[in-house]
Amino acid sequence: MRRSWPAALALLLAGCGIQPSGVDDAGRAATGVAPGVTLYFVDDDGRLQPQLRRINRLGTISEALALLLTGPGSSGLRTEITPSGPAPIVVDPRPGLIRLMTPLAEYEVTPLGIDQIVCTALGVWVQSGGAADTRVQVTFTLASPESERHRTCPRTG
Amino acid sequence: MTRRWWPRGLRIRLLVAFVLVAVTGAGAAAWSGARSASAALVTVTERRLTEAVAGQLNALTPQLTYPPNQAALDRLRAAVGTDTLVTYRALRSAAGDHTALVSDALRDAVRSRDRLSTQRISAGGVPWLLIGTPVMVTAPDGRQTRSGIEVYAVRDLAAVEQQVDGMTRSAARTAALALPLAVLLALSAAGSVLRPVRKLRDTARRLAAGDLDARSPPRGADELADLTVTINQMAGSLQESMAGMRRMQADARRFAADASHELRTPLSTLTAVVEVLASATDGMADDARESAELAITETHRLVRLVDDLMEVSRFDGGTAQLLMEEIDLADAVRDSLRARGWAGRVDLVAPPGTRLRVDRRRLDVIVANLVGNALRHGHPPVRVRITDRPALVSIEVTDRGPGLPGHVLPQVFERFYKHDAARSRTPGSGLGLAIARENARLHGGDLTAGNADGGGARFVLHLPREDT
Repeated sequence: MRRSWPAALALLLAGCGIQPSGVDDAGRAATGVAPGVTLYFVDDDGRLQPQLRRINRLGTISEALALLLTGPGSSGLRTEITPSGPAPIVVDPRPGLIRLMTPLAEYEVTPLGIDQIVCTALGVWVQSGGAADTRVQVTFTLASPESERHRTCPRTG
Repeated sequence: MTRRWWPRGLRIRLLVAFVLVAVTGAGAAAWSGARSASAALVTVTERRLTEAVAGQLNALTPQLTYPPNQAALDRLRAAVGTDTLVTYRALRSAAGDHTALVSDALRDAVRSRDRLSTQRISAGGVPWLLIGTPVMVTAPDGRQTRSGIEVYAVRDLAAVEQQVDGMTRSAARTAALALPLAVLLALSAAGSVLRPVRKLRDTARRLAAGDLDARSPPRGADELADLTVTINQMAGSLQESMAGMRRMQADARRFAADASHELRTPLSTLTAVVEVLASATDGMADDARESAELAITETHRLVRLVDDLMEVSRFDGGTAQLLMEEIDLADAVRDSLRARGWAGRVDLVAPPGTRLRVDRRRLDVIVANLVGNALRHGHPPVRVRITDRPALVSIEVTDRGPGLPGHVLPQVFERFYKHDAARSRTPGSGLGLAIARENARLHGGDLTAGNADGGGARFVLHLPREDT
């Protein structure tokens, strides 16, 4: 009986080491690859329409917004954002809220145009793995109540 | 031979039990603590490694060419770090020596679950963490589809294992620290239990040795105190019954003394009357003379019996007195024999000049009783042999009769003991040997009964020399 004591002790000590395990779930899979970036423009009926730009990658929100500002090209869609100079939109993504600091004044863009910006930014955000319920704040060069609103894309909710 | 595993003493048993309990308890606590701490450590490390891989992947994927070419896979693999395998359909990019460790189970999980998966394995004595994930394509509305890219990373957990081992060792050390403490506690507990036990034992010893006043004061209210109270009660009732018995014994002795004393006066009268009767028997008719002679004999017997009873009462009451004088032993014995007319029937073997301080009357009683018995119950020749030794003098009386049966020997000195029922009419009182032994003991000697080698009873009186 006494002879089994060391064996039991060794077993206990062995139980303290790292044991092999089965396959465990460790969270969400990686994401972010895409054949291109989705931009939002306005069709003749005044509705937002997605347009996939095949650039063989998703890219960043800044890149997507830069492409958005360059316009829809010859696709039959139009943009409601007044073309501006080369100044980019500054993106400040935080958990739950993406702040977009545009070089535009509020009168240079229609509500639909704001939706174009919001939907494009949110689309890239979600595609690169961000949370879908993130809000977007669009600020303008001139102080305006619109700058304080936390917006969502009307197409995706 | 049976082996005794369990030690004998109470102290060592308490010690062993205490040490076992303490070390087991401390060991279990330390082991459980070390186990949960190491589990937490492993979990945290795994999460850190997994999050690092996921973070590195997510940082790069938006810039990754899709569908990827070999260069894109290499980029992805380089971003995740060494020991990483990235596959996309037939393309594959691997770096590090341990990517072969990726298990089929993990691949299956990555392909079927669309989730980040991990698995711990042990290879070559080293623990490894396998991390696998598919890279998903997420639509702007959140729907996910597989991109076909799979990423597997192999991470070394040896450093964590060393930390876990260190914790285990320190747990074992902690448990070992409990050992001396347990020994001290066990010794003090054993002492507190054993001290009253030892006191009780001493009390019981004193009781056994006859000191009926011995008591131990009970202390506290535990089982040992109960035991002490019980033992005290036992000693008390023992003392009471002993006292009662002594009282009854003393009463019985006093009664025997009083009765024999009271019998003496009427007996003296009766004796005088019988003497008159004896002198008148010559003129009686035969049957009347026979009755008178019987009355005379029985009266003499009664007188002797009462005398013996009074002698025994004196021994019992402790009032028997020794009248010591220095005598020549051979002369004294010869006088005894001659006075009873036995000189011609007894061989006396005595070295001349054996002098001893004794009570002459009591010696005469002893010798008369022993020789009388031998003459009455044994066969001649009856022999009295005096042996002079430095420390004591022995007087041995032997006969050639049938001897004493074995079952009689232990009882032969008892009062009123008569081995042969048919002998009840013999003139002895049944107290003779008892009185003889009391007399021997009064001298500081003893009287023993046995059988001689050639058959026949053998009584030996030992009398010590006073001056030695």
